Order: sequence, then C-alpha cells, then structure tokens
Amino acid sequence: MSLSYRIAYVFLRNLYSYKRFVVPTFLVTLIEPLFYLVTFGIGMGAYMGAFGGKPYLHFLVPGVLATAAMMSASFECLYGTFVKIVHEKVYNSLIATPVSADEAVAGDIVWASFRGLISGTLMMVVALFMGVAPASLWRALLLLVFLVFIGLLFGSLAMIVTSVAPTFDFFSYYTELVITPMFFFSGVFFPLDNFPGWMKVLAEFLPLTHAVRITRALFTGGPSAGAGRSLGLLVAVAAVAFTVSVRMMRKRLIK
Amino acid sequence: MGVLVKASGLTKKYGDLVAVAGIDFEICEGECFGFLGPNGAGKTTTVRMIHCVSPVTSGTLTVGGLPSGIDNRALKKIAGVIPQEIDLDIDLTVEENLIVFARFFDIRRREAKARIAELLRFVELEAKAPCKISDLSTGMKRRLLIARALINRPRLIVADEPTTGLDPQARHLIWQRLRQLKTQGATLVLTTQYMEEAQQLCDRIVVMHEGRILKEGTPGRLVADEIGREVIEVRTAPEDDARILDRLSGLDCAHERVGDTLYFYCPDGHAVMKRLLELELANTLIRPATLEDVFLKLTGRSLHE
Repeated sequence: MSLSYRIAYVFLRNLYSYKRFVVPTFLVTLIEPLFYLVTFGIGMGAYMGAFGGKPYLHFLVPGVLATAAMMSASFECLYGTFVKIVHEKVYNSLIATPVSADEAVAGDIVWASFRGLISGTLMMVVALFMGVAPASLWRALLLLVFLVFIGLLFGSLAMIVTSVAPTFDFFSYYTELVITPMFFFSGVFFPLDNFPGWMKVLAEFLPLTHAVRITRALFTGGPSAGAGRSLGLLVAVAAVAFTVSVRMMRKRLIK
Repeated sequence: MGVLVKASGLTKKYGDLVAVAGIDFEICEGECFGFLGPNGAGKTTTVRMIHCVSPVTSGTLTVGGLPSGIDNRALKKIAGVIPQEIDLDIDLTVEENLIVFARFFDIRRREAKARIAELLRFVELEAKAPCKISDLSTGMKRRLLIARALINRPRLIVADEPTTGLDPQARHLIWQRLRQLKTQGATLVLTTQYMEEAQQLCDRIVVMHEGRILKEGTPGRLVADEIGREVIEVRTAPEDDARILDRLSGLDCAHERVGDTLYFYCPDGHAVMKRLLELELANTLIRPATLEDVFLKLTGRSLHE
C-alpha cells in the first residue's frame, strides 16, 4: 500500500467541503439518536425500574453512543465517498497529483471516523444534559479515542461496499441487511443474556456487539467481562477491513 | 532539445479490448506534441499513461528518464493535467479548489497564496475567486482547470481536449495561454479532434486510429505529403464522374467520391480548375488543403462512436 502523510491533505479537502454543511449535519446526526434516548430512555425507561441498580438511560447511552459513531462513519463512506467518486469525480483529479489512490481512500476513512467522533461527542454532550456521564474524566477521554476507532472500523467496512457499488440503491442491501439488524441485535437496547443460545452466538459475530460492550465498560466503569477479547477481535477486523477496502477501491479507481 | 517522453511498444489493454496497440513516439523538451484521432483512437488512454494515472500493460514509457507508473510521485510532481472532463471540486470555491490542490503538491501556504493570485490573473478569473464552481460558465471552468494544472509549475503539461464545448472567444483565449506556457519553456502534450487547434498549437503531431499511430510529422509536412497543396470539391451527381475524370486525364491529381461530392487532391489546383471550368459545373470550389483533409483521409470518413 502506498500511504503517507498526504492522507492529511485528503482530510483537509473534506474539511473545506464540510464547512458549508456543518449546521445541517449537526442537526441530522443528533436527531435520530436523540429520538432513541428520549423515547426508549425516558419514555420506556420509566416502566423498567432499576437496570443494574441505575435508571435504564444509563444502560442505553453507551449503546447509542457507539451506534451514532457507527452510523455516521458508515454513511460517510457509503454515500459521501460514492458521490465523490461517481458524481463529483473528485478522485479523478486527485490521483493525478502526488496523492495516491490509496491515500485518497484512507483519507476518506479517516474523515469518516472524524464524523463518527463528532456524532459520538454530540451524543455524549446530550447525555450529560440528561444526567448521564462517564464514570470519570479519563474514561471520557478513552471513550473519545474509542469512538475514533469505531469510525475507522465501520468506515472501512462501508468502503468495501462502496468499492463494488454500481449505484446508490446498492447501499440499501448493506444498510437494511447489515446495519439495521446490527442495531437491534447488538445489545444496544437490552442485555443479550436472555437471547436463546443461537442468537447469542450470532450476536458475537456482529462487530457492533463488541463495540457496544467496550463502550459500556468504558462508560460505566463497571465489570467488563470479555471487553479485552472484544477489543482484540475488533482491532483484527478493522485491520483486515481497512486493507481490503483500500485494495478494492484502488481497483475501482485505477484502470 | 532532449527527449522528455519516450514510448516504445506502448500497449494498453482493458480485458480483451486493445486501447493502445504497441505505439512508439518521442516527445522533446519544450515542444508541443499533439495526438489527433477520432473518438476511441486511444489518445486519452495514451496521455493517461504518460501522466501516470493508468498503468502500462506492456512496452516501455519513460518521462524524464523515469519509468511511468501509478505510484511514481516524482513524475506526478512535475506534470500538470488539464483533463477532458471538467472535474473541478464543486463542494469548494474557485480559490479553495486551488488551495487544496496546492496542498496535494506539498506547496507551502504562503507560496500557494501568491501562486494562486498569479494564476487567477493568468486565466482572468481574479474576480471569481470566492465564487462557487456552479456559478462559472464552461469557459471559466476550463480556464480554472488550466490554472489548477499549473499550480505546481509543471515541466510537462498534458491537455486532453482542453477546448471541448467552448465558444470561439474562450477557445482563442485558451490557445493564447497554452502558447504562452510553451514560450515559458513547458513541454505540452495535447490531444484534440479539432484540426485548427492542432495547427494553432502543435509543433509535431501524430494521427492515431484504433490504438495505432498512422502518421507522424509537422502539421504542414503532413498536409503537403498526404494531400498536396489544394483541394477541389465538386458537388455533383455520381453519373457525372466519368465525364469529369475523362476531362482531367493526364493531370497529376488524386480523386475521391464521398456522398454528393467529388474531391480532387492536387499539387497544382489551378490547372485542374481551368479544365473543370470548361465543363461549366454548377458547384465547384477550390481551397487550400488542411489538416482535416489529412485526418479524414487517414482515419476514414465513417463515423467513430
């Protein structure tokens, strides 16, 4: 792979472009997760009593944080990158400069991760206002670092889909068949303990399950059974996904 | 003048499709070298290999002694590309397009600022610096593409059909600028389908067709060798051909029937014309031979799509 500091230039290009969309994207990235927090956390949570000794909202927030970062990064690498390749042809002119195709792709993944970080951070601020805070300041900082990682992971996975997407419609397969089910089966809304055995096994194959487990452990500071193993798994998946996505995208860009 | 670009047996295949079929050429430092050919002749594919965005299938291609390759940053650093398709960054303003590009080439902020001001003046877009790309006319967009291509002070400028879709004013302005760049010492590689463009700009041209180079030379030499000095067009029904040709027997003159027109390619058009006048044909025209005649003769008159 041909990667260098020039990844930062691609990031910079995206930052220039982002300037114009900051306000609308802030609103959009906030609204959906905010709905979940209000409806499930406050509305439904009222009927659920204590959840491991604390209100339900405390259980819900870490899962929504991880999900928000996943969603933002995924959509950026699906729709954002696709528009840049196919409609705006940004990559065409870029690869004629000393910036390589690999760097262009890596730059977009890093950018997606930054978008994930923004979404996650915004959610964290909202949660603070709702009275749910990470167990300590250094845990909050670790969480931010982990949000960046979630972005890299799901950005890379989405980039693989984009590398073979003929049209926008193709993304529905990924969002409806992968992203949405993950959202419901990864322990965001309730613990996985009461799932039948086979569903528990299935959930272990979903990266979001592991991301939520780690986020929750970091957030609550409670006992984190399996969080270390989850992190190891995710790092391995992210490394493979990143490498594969850059290779496949290079194939699409260089003819 | 040294050789800047050298290709031998240069071949590009896309699966079974042969886009460039083993061509040889040399482009000298400081000249303007043109690739002419109909659609699908392989011109764009060839220049894309020269500026290192498309890998060579086989054969060799060197630029400044270095082998061309997609990861060859040293070559990309000295090349400026004016693409056929307008691929400006529509999310950014005119000025931001140039700022971002300057970063891609590692140009420091302060230097970039001065350079951008100078380039916007050069392409007469100073007033448009803060504008969105969508507010520009096609001619302005093409001029901005030129400015963008020059941000790194390239030694080699690759212009792929740089005036497609422009009105005559915009086209002439772009020709002026390209000639100016050449006098400043840059080497220019041009692809075009406009014969006038080739004649205006190129020191040497090659005519490409179906991935091969058919002829190479200066525009003037090619016209003289392939066509002669003058062309006579006679608009007349094919039934008249025998009568007309009979009249011209003994004169040194090639002819061709295309649709409703009989063409004569002659070293001395006046002698032919004199005899034709005696036939009192209704619609006869004599004109100087042009590169377009060469182009049509070499690549055929059928449509290329």
